Parts: sequence; C-alpha cells; structure tokens
Amino acid sequence: MNNLMSLDPMTLALFLPLFGAMAAFIAPRAASVIGLATVLANLGAVGWLAFEIRAAAELITPLGGWAPPLGIALRADGLSVAMLALTGAVGLLVSFSALDALRDARQRQYFWPLWLLLLTGLNGVYLGTDIFNLYVMIEVIALAAVGLTVLSGTREAVRAGLEYMYASILGALLFLMGVGFVYLQLGRLDFAGLIAATPSAALSAALALMVVGLLLKTALFPLHFWLPAAHANATAPASALLSGLVVKAALYIFLRLSTYMPLPDEILVTLLGALGAGALLWGSVQALRAERLKLLVAWSTVAQIGLIFIAFARAGQVGLVESWKAAALLILAHGIAKSAMFLAAGRIKDEVGHDIIRDLDRSAIRPTLAQFTFALAAISLIGLPPSLGFIGKWSLMEGALQAGYWHWVVATMVGTLLSVAYFSRVFAGFLRFDRMQGALAEHKGWALADLAPLTLALAAISLGLMAAPILSFIELGYPFGAMP
Amino acid sequence: MTDPLILFDLLLGVSVVALAVAVMGARDLFAAIVLFVIFGLLSALAWARLSAPDVALAEAAIGTGVTGALLLKTLHHLRYVTGQLDQFAAPGMTPAEPVPMGVIAANAAFCGLITLGLAVAYLGAPQGGPGFDALVAEAMPQSGVEHPVTAVLLNFRAYDTLMEVVVLLAAVIAVWQIERGLSDAPSPDLGQVWQGFARLALPAIVVVGTYLLWKGSEAPGGAFQGGAVLAAVGLLLLLSRAYVPRPAHRGAARLLFVLGTGAFAAVALLVTGGGRVAFQYPPDQAKTLILLIEGLVTISIAVTLAALFHGREPVALPSRRDHHDT
Amino acid sequence: MTPDLIYGLTGIAVFAIGLVGALCAQDRLRRVLALKLCSVGAGFILVVAAWREPPASPDPVPHALVITGIVVMVSATAVALALIRRLQTLEAEADE
Repeated sequence: MNNLMSLDPMTLALFLPLFGAMAAFIAPRAASVIGLATVLANLGAVGWLAFEIRAAAELITPLGGWAPPLGIALRADGLSVAMLALTGAVGLLVSFSALDALRDARQRQYFWPLWLLLLTGLNGVYLGTDIFNLYVMIEVIALAAVGLTVLSGTREAVRAGLEYMYASILGALLFLMGVGFVYLQLGRLDFAGLIAATPSAALSAALALMVVGLLLKTALFPLHFWLPAAHANATAPASALLSGLVVKAALYIFLRLSTYMPLPDEILVTLLGALGAGALLWGSVQALRAERLKLLVAWSTVAQIGLIFIAFARAGQVGLVESWKAAALLILAHGIAKSAMFLAAGRIKDEVGHDIIRDLDRSAIRPTLAQFTFALAAISLIGLPPSLGFIGKWSLMEGALQAGYWHWVVATMVGTLLSVAYFSRVFAGFLRFDRMQGALAEHKGWALADLAPLTLALAAISLGLMAAPILSFIELGYPFGAMP
Repeated sequence: MTDPLILFDLLLGVSVVALAVAVMGARDLFAAIVLFVIFGLLSALAWARLSAPDVALAEAAIGTGVTGALLLKTLHHLRYVTGQLDQFAAPGMTPAEPVPMGVIAANAAFCGLITLGLAVAYLGAPQGGPGFDALVAEAMPQSGVEHPVTAVLLNFRAYDTLMEVVVLLAAVIAVWQIERGLSDAPSPDLGQVWQGFARLALPAIVVVGTYLLWKGSEAPGGAFQGGAVLAAVGLLLLLSRAYVPRPAHRGAARLLFVLGTGAFAAVALLVTGGGRVAFQYPPDQAKTLILLIEGLVTISIAVTLAALFHGREPVALPSRRDHHDT
Repeated sequence: MTPDLIYGLTGIAVFAIGLVGALCAQDRLRRVLALKLCSVGAGFILVVAAWREPPASPDPVPHALVITGIVVMVSATAVALALIRRLQTLEAEADE
C-alpha cells in the first residue's frame, strides 16, 4: 500500500477509469455501483490535480522514467485540468441520470464499461503530449463512443453508428498519416519537438493531414455529415456524452496542435473561420427544419462547433495568443449546456412518449421541470447573460472587433438570431396550451431523474459569473507558450 | 546502381498498388477479399524487405490473416441473411443509390487535396531523416530485453501498448454489445479432410505461437504476433465446431479478455514508489516483468481475436423477435 | 532509386486508393476494405521512415508504432463488421 501513496493524480485519472471499466465488465450485476464509484473517484483525482496545478501551474510525469522524445510524458496545465474537470463533472451527472434513463438491463450492463473506457480515453487525450499516443487515445474514444451510439439497438442507431465508425476510422487514419510524416520530418513525436521545429512546407502538409482528420472527428462543416443521426438516435445519456464531451477531445487536440505548429498562412485561419461560419448557418437552418427534438439538438451541436471555430479564427494568426481562450470558454460552455439539453430532451421524450416538435403541445403530459431545464440550457447556448455561453460569445466578438474583423461579429450575430429562432420552435410547444384537448395529465414524477440535467443547466448559467477565475485558471502553465 | 533487388522492389511496389486498385475494382466481394489477402501478404513482404520483420509478421498474421477471416465471416453472414448463400458471385450487398454529382465532385476535390498534401509532405521530407536510433541504442541496456522493437513496445512506450490492448478490449465489449445470441448462420462446411487437417494443425500452431512469443524478447516476434497465431487455433476450433461458445462460458471469457490489460495496468501501477513512476520497472526485474506481461497479454489477445471472429455475445435468446424492439 | 522512395510512393498510392474507395464505394463491406487499405498505406510511410541504408539497422520506434496501428485497426474493423452484420439482420427483418 505504501507504493500507491506515491502515485500522482494524473496517473490516477488514467488508471481509475480503466480499472473501473474492467471491473464493470467482469461483474455486470454490480456495473452501476462500480461505475458510479469510479466516476466519483475520478472527479476526486481531478480535484486533487486542480489543487496541485493551482500551486505548480504545470505537472509532468515521464511514464516509465523515460523522458520524451523516447518515452511518453503526461502533462497537465490549466487548460487540460479545465477539460478534465468538464469531463469529470459532466460525466458524473450524466452517470446519475443514466441510473434512471437506462431501463433495459442489457443497456445498463454495457453502458458502464463503455463509458468508463471512454472516460479513460478522454482523460488520456487531455494529459497526452505525444501525437502517436493521441492517435491511440482517439481510437479508444472512437470505439467506446460507437458502442454507446448503438446502445439503443434500433435500426436507425445502428445505421448512424456505422456511418460514425467509418468517419471515425478515416479521421484517425488521416491523423496517423500526418503522424507518420511528422516523424519523417522531425524524427520525434512529442509536443516539445513540434514547438522546436522549424516550419517547412512538408511539415505544414503533415499538420494539415492531422487537422483534417481531427475536423472529421469533431464534425466541422462540411465534414459533419455523420453527427446529427448518431447523436439524435443514441439513448439520452449516450447523446449527452457524445455531444457534450466526445467531440471536444478532437477540438482540444486541434487547439493544441494549431498553436504548437502554427498554421503556415493567415488564409488557413480565415478558411477555418469560414467553415465555422458555414457550420453555424447550415447547422442552424437544419435545426430550424428538424422535426424531432433530439435531431434539433444534434444540429445545434453542428452550429455550435462552427461557433467555436469562429472564436478560434476571430483575430487571425496573430490574435491566436488570446483567441484560444474564447474558444476554450465556448468549449466548456457547450459541453455543460449541451449535455444538460440532451438529458432534458431525453426526459421530455420519456415522459411524452415521442419527441416530434410539432406535436409537443398536443401532449397531455407536461414534463415541466425537464422543459425548464431545456430552456435554461438554451439560454446558455443562445448566449444570454449571465451564462458561460454569453461570456464566450462576448469574448469572441470583443476580440474580433479589436482586430477589426467585423465579419466574424456579423456571422456570430446571425447565428445567435437563428439559434433564438430554432429554440423558439421548442418553447412554443412548451408554452402553448390551446391545442391541448382535455385536461392535463399528471406526469410521472421527476425528482431524481431531472436533478442531473437541472444541475448541469444551472451550472451553465451560473458559471458565467465565475468567468474571471476560470479564465485565469486555464492560463496556468501557459498552455500555448513555450514548453520545457 | 544496378542492384537487382531494386528491380524486385519496383515489381513488388507496382504489384501492391495494382492489387489495391483491384481490391476496390473487383465486382465480386469474395474476389475482393481474396485479392485483399494477397495485397496484405505482399505488403508484409515489402515491409520485410525494408528490414521490418516484426511489422511484417504482425501485418501478415493480424492485418491480413485475422482481418481476412473477419471479412469472410461477415460476407458469409450477409449472404445468409439475404438468402444468397448458394450463389457463388456476391455483387454489392448494399442497395446502390445514385450519388448526386455535387457529392462526387466534393469527394474528388477532397481526395485530390489530401493526395496533394501527401505528396508535398513526402517529397519535401529530408532523406534518411533523424530518428530515435541513438536514443534507443543508448537506453537498450536498461530495457531488460535484447530486441529493440520489444523494448519500445513494452518498456519505452509501454503506455501506448497498454492503450492498444485497451482498444482491443473496447472492441470486444462493443462487439458483444452489438450482437448477441447463439450463432444462427450455419458455419461454412469444412469437410472431413479440412476438419482432420484442423485437428492435426492445432498443436503445431500452438507451438509456433508460443515460440514467437518467447523469441520476442531477443528476436523478431512477440506478444501480438504470437497472440494472432494462437488466435488461429481459436478460429479453427470455432470453425470446426470443436468448441461452441455457450452462455455459461461468458464469465470466463470476460476474465480472459481483461486478463492482459488488467495485468499490464496492475504491473505498471505496482512498480511505482521509491521515486519510480508508473511503468518504471526496477532494472533487475524488468525482464521478468516484461515476460510476465507479454505472456498474459498474448493469452488475452488470442482469446479476444477469436471472440471478435465469433462476433457475438453467446446468450440464449428466448425469442429473437422480442429483443430487437428494446 | 532506393527502396524507401519506391515503397514510400507505393504507400502514398495505396492510401490515396483507399481514400477514394472510402468516400466513393457504395457497398458497406468494400468501404471497410478501403479503410484497411488506408491503414496499410500509413504503415508503409512509417516503415519507410524507419528504414536506414544498410548496414545500418532501422529505427525500432516506428516499427512498434505500426504494430500498434495494426492491432488498433483490426479492433476497429471488427466493430465495423459487427455493425454491418447487425444492420443487415435488422434490415432483413424490417423487409419481411
């Protein structure tokens, strides 16, 4: 036991979910208990890590005692801890809601090992410093995420899961090809090697391959084709994990890479912003046209990912020193609010029996608390004050205006108006009672199942008030400055 | 510069590319899979020629052998489900829908851009660029094994390798979740001669697999190649119906799936302490620990690959219809 | 001309063929084959990058990476194929 005392929190954050996943798989009957205990312990490890990072700003553990580039090091700084905390906290609340939402014994039995493996992969990405290791991690994430996508077992879910699998494998292989070329160029694969590298056309091409793979995984327009069906047809807890957490892993790697190996040309930054604007418009238009609530929420993810890329590009190449913070804030805001929204949508679907938007106001059952949660989450996603989404959008527009890039401000405004429009379609269904024939029926109780999404939605709103400490925390360890 | 081997290289390279085109172009899916297997074996040969015998072994055994078996099994299942089991030719299984011109143009542009990127990245690279050669050579004496690739896999970059067996574990969990039930498609009839051959071949394959594993510490070979060869035993057992998975076997199967990952992760954690971090084996025990990990990982890989081939959780379903609506 | 150039170009060609197939093939099984071609193409690049003019011995690290990549790919392939089988069964039942 003495040995274990010398463990560091980063190693714990990797191994706890891994052992939890194995235990939950071996003992299916105890899977829920093991799963909850693991997720709690993981959050504890992340809390410990956050405590250490506040003091030390960064932590590095060279695994096996071999220093990079030969070995692989784990590294944590403010940004990675923020992502770990997002994953741990959202994961915990989604886990609670899964206790209620997954009624089928078989779904429960497989949800836990898959979700804990997903957690292992996500934590591994946020602590990773080696691009090949990141490739393996995104594959762990991909396989677990596809397993979660098809958990419901319906034909639509399996079809969407297969498309997701194809896109995932292709994205990972493009990334791997880029890794191969980076090795060919530099002879090393660690982040420090990327920072020290002298830019060249060949290195940029390698970076471009990796970035395209990541864009496919994070579903940036026009590579988003697989996302809506996959996220809309999964069971509610799985949708919340996929939309809230999984797409963020590829986004995070993109943020790191694009600043360690700067994009060679201003045009490419603008191109990414333009794709983001395309995603914002196209995703919003599709959300306006969606007939089902969960599909609307899934399309809104496509739009919001576009917004994150606009934040990334808001002030061009030179502005990246600050722009990544706006993007990171939006990533956190979207992760919390979108998981709340998917859980609430799942609750609404459970209570009403369907999620066809047009007929929501015909239902005799009013799942009030879930509707309230949905509205709160929408406030953060639309970006009304004081939510975290508001702070993110504000910082996006402020930076864009300072740099004189007013077109990004216009795109953001249009996107915001469209998001008001598509969410209003849902609110109209909640608020109109005149199309209801007969008396309202009692809904089936909501105490525990609604608690998790409500907590998440409230967090999405109230964390906006804590934006200043969050911002100063993610800067710890100079995530995008020099790395020793 | 008239090295006759260069001619061989040219011929092999052209054949590999031609086979890749043929795999994509072949009308018949069965033919495409067979061409793919030949393609994989020739690629492995090319890698052996590039002094990468470990990689060549892994590609031949896992990338080509196991993957080919998986593909053929799936094709067999698809033909059974669509009632085409008796037909020799297997044209596309998925109903073809016309693709809009816009999508074709976008795809073509995407492929063109990526290939351009590949060419720029490759041709712009320095010849005989830098690498880990010196670092590995320097660290080898402390690694506990004599074969550099094994040292990288199980010591220097053991974290990657742990996560790789985690990927394998995630795959078998996902596959069990996706498909369940006792096998409904009849397995292909092996015939008496083949069954006899399978029984005779089993001990030989076990010996080869164990030998590969054992050699891994000093010569090409190791857990992954050995595991794949042992998995072939499992495939033969499954195909010849010498072993039929039963619901009651699931507990043991789960234990065997996680055995390698669990042992690997446990060793990685237990060696910490006294200033050592995870995966940092004490130098005097490094060889023992690496061999222990390799042995257990080999067992898990073999069982997992065989289970991936079987492709479903063996559950007795009361009625097939009832379950699909859940 | 050296072996690494020949096989490097081979790898790029194979990856590109796989890429076209993955995007354009209609058949589900063939798309899996296409992705597998891409992975072999990526393997070629890493093996070529590790190669050193004999008698120098190659860099073992990329070899280890390719072995990892092969195992990762067979896992992903197995899951994709399981999905294909399941989907075909579900579709066949819906048609009945």
